[in-house]
Amino acid sequence: MFKKILLATTGSPASFGAARVAFDMAKRYDSEVTIFHVVGVPTKAFSHVVNDVRTGEEVEIDEEYLSWVEEELKTTFAKQFEGADNAKIVLTTGVPAREILREARKADSDLVVMAASSGENASFHKGYPGSTLQKVAKAARCPVLSIHRESASYWGGFSNILFGTDFSKQAESAFKFALSTARELDCDLTIFHALDISGKVLDQNEIEENLIAARKRIRATYVPLMGDFKNYDIEVWEGTPYVEIVKLAREKSVDLICLAHHTNELDPERARIGSTVEQVILRANCPVVSVSKPDKV
Amino acid sequence: MPQGKLCNRQPINTDEQLKLTLSDKSGKQYYAEMQELDVDTNALWATIQKTMKSRIKTWLEICAHCGMCADSCFLYQVNDCVPEQVPSYKIQSTLGHIVKKKGQVDNEFMRKCMKIAWSQCTCCNRCGMYCPHGIDMGVMFSYLRGLLYSQGFVPWELKIGSGMHRVYRAQMDVTTEDWVETCEWMAEETEEEWPGLTIPVDKQDAEIMYTCNAREPKHYPEDLAEAAVLFHVAGTNWTVPSEGWEQTSLSMFAGDWECCKDNVNHVYDAIERLNPARVTGTECGHAHRATVIEGPYWAGRKDGLPPKPYIHYVEWLAEALREGKLKIDPAKRIKEPVTLQDSCNYVRNQGLKDVTREILSYIVEPGYFVEMAPNKEHNYCCGGGGGFNGIGLYREQRNVALRKKMDQILDTGCKLVIAPCHNCWDAIRDLEEEYEIGIRWSFLKPLIIGMLDIPEGMRVEW
Ligand code: SF4
Ligand code: SF4
Ligand code: SF4
Repeated sequence: MFKKILLATTGSPASFGAARVAFDMAKRYDSEVTIFHVVGVPTKAFSHVVNDVRTGEEVEIDEEYLSWVEEELKTTFAKQFEGADNAKIVLTTGVPAREILREARKADSDLVVMAASSGENASFHKGYPGSTLQKVAKAARCPVLSIHRESASYWGGFSNILFGTDFSKQAESAFKFALSTARELDCDLTIFHALDISGKVLDQNEIEENLIAARKRIRATYVPLMGDFKNYDIEVWEGTPYVEIVKLAREKSVDLICLAHHTNELDPERARIGSTVEQVILRANCPVVSVSKPDKV
Repeated sequence: MPQGKLCNRQPINTDEQLKLTLSDKSGKQYYAEMQELDVDTNALWATIQKTMKSRIKTWLEICAHCGMCADSCFLYQVNDCVPEQVPSYKIQSTLGHIVKKKGQVDNEFMRKCMKIAWSQCTCCNRCGMYCPHGIDMGVMFSYLRGLLYSQGFVPWELKIGSGMHRVYRAQMDVTTEDWVETCEWMAEETEEEWPGLTIPVDKQDAEIMYTCNAREPKHYPEDLAEAAVLFHVAGTNWTVPSEGWEQTSLSMFAGDWECCKDNVNHVYDAIERLNPARVTGTECGHAHRATVIEGPYWAGRKDGLPPKPYIHYVEWLAEALREGKLKIDPAKRIKEPVTLQDSCNYVRNQGLKDVTREILSYIVEPGYFVEMAPNKEHNYCCGGGGGFNGIGLYREQRNVALRKKMDQILDTGCKLVIAPCHNCWDAIRDLEEEYEIGIRWSFLKPLIIGMLDIPEGMRVEW
């Protein structure tokens, strides 16, 4: 299922959870893991100096610096490297989101795994990694798995998957991914829609009607696609989508949330505020996989 | 010592030499070698005799040392008005001296000239407007840079920059394959949201051929995607050439005249090969100056024009907005104080001051556009022009230079600065990093895309 995993990491403690999941999956599926690290963000002028992604300091990228970074990553991930024969480190410079996408495309990765935040966020380059995740999740051809908490479950120990839908086109891809993962890992799958009533004035009858309609819509849209798969149930709640998703996930002890990522917003800073995916990632206790393209599901 | 391994009179022409020079951390060895580099004084004088045109000779002679140019120079202003920063002093004590000495100058003098040429003048051409004789230091310093380059006295980054152009025909190591691949990638990534969008490569007889800055495919390919979106929405029949797409010229900043000519011919060849009705480039000032304003002369074109009408991006954009090919949703116009950076390279050098303001009239709610003072052709350099932004050796001086723009922006009270020039954009970004005055900055493309009134069905809602 996942032959090629791209672990996009800053090498900071905040990404250890992501690394663990990536390596764990690699062992389970005998996949190839690429530890991908963008060393620095080039100044937009033509200088050879870049801002180190972690420290924000200006550094000059040369062989010496790169091998130093590589050594450091090897030490950081020493435990994971043990017994992982199919792991390699790739370093580059550039704008992180762009370079992650470039590498995923070049390597034809099946899954991108990344941490949801870098921990100590360097102020020199605002929005990394929040906006990095946004951009990668939006444009990647493959599913993007993000792990926010160190405590996040390991891949492989999954038994409950939550698929949240807003009935968009992208959600179809996310559903396919959720279904095949549930099949493969023999999990329960909850298909969920949160009726967005935030900022709206609806009377109770209207809400009830809408809930019924959404249930019907789920049945009509997704049930025919499931064939002989029976371990599913359907939930429709009203509220603010990300809150409801997180609540349901807690209640059902879900260990993977699967969503489609889509936003029209060009400005990643503004997109963050509105993004259900981002909010869920930050609040959920389990990994969140976002799928927006049909290619790799 | 004769010539060094890295610092010498030969341009970088091979990938090996380029990598070797690049691997020299901060140009440490390069600058060490420069300390010992001999000046070939005979060659220097021969070059002057061959290349110094009557205009520069006359300028050197007729300068009345009246000092009226002093205040026109932003570098003079931000450097406590020291006499060493008076434009006429800067040129007389460098180029003037070399000419007077008939090229008989030594290493130390050449290094001093290098420092002045690249850290005390951004070739912004502002002084030329204020001198009663029209003496333009920007032009003279460009000439001096050429002399210094031919003798190997050029900042490390610019030696590499022009080497990149020579080896890759782009300011960065972007090969033809990389470029074409990036076009495909960006089309793929964008077409889902914009059905029918393409980035056609090497299409014959298009309405518009588009050229860009190698930084874009290398690090910021979304800029190309944004250009594609706007061409697509405007219904333009456009293309990019597979070769000759790089419009910038670091060689112009370096003073590598031969390479300048080669760069521009490469673009002109593409125009002749693809035969578009017109050409436009990305939001870049120096690229426009190199390819459109000075380029025709480097290429030896008698009419002083590129092979086809070659407009700046702001001209294309204003036209598309004016003709209604791109429509702005009035509800989405900018409703906060916003100011505009006038790029010396296409405003002072080509007079494109009103067209940018026309664009603003469509995208900014009336009453919110605040002019910098001074503005238009009187505007000051962003602080990082002429290669200044990229030279590590003079970073400190560059940071001082940014203060003029900082004050100008602070005086407007705006938090948003529109900078339709790569280099100005960089300088303003760096200025925020350095001085943290709490501003944002943007090119036009993403702003406009966010404000478009998009025809039904053209965009797939996500
Ligand atoms: S204003 Fe003109 S004439 Fe007067 S010192 Fe400056 S360059 Fe010379
Ligand atoms: S060209 Fe610009 S930077 Fe150079 S001396 Fe004149 S005003 Fe100063
Ligand atoms: S970078 Fe912009 S403002 Fe600065 S010299 Fe160049 S065009 Fe002028």
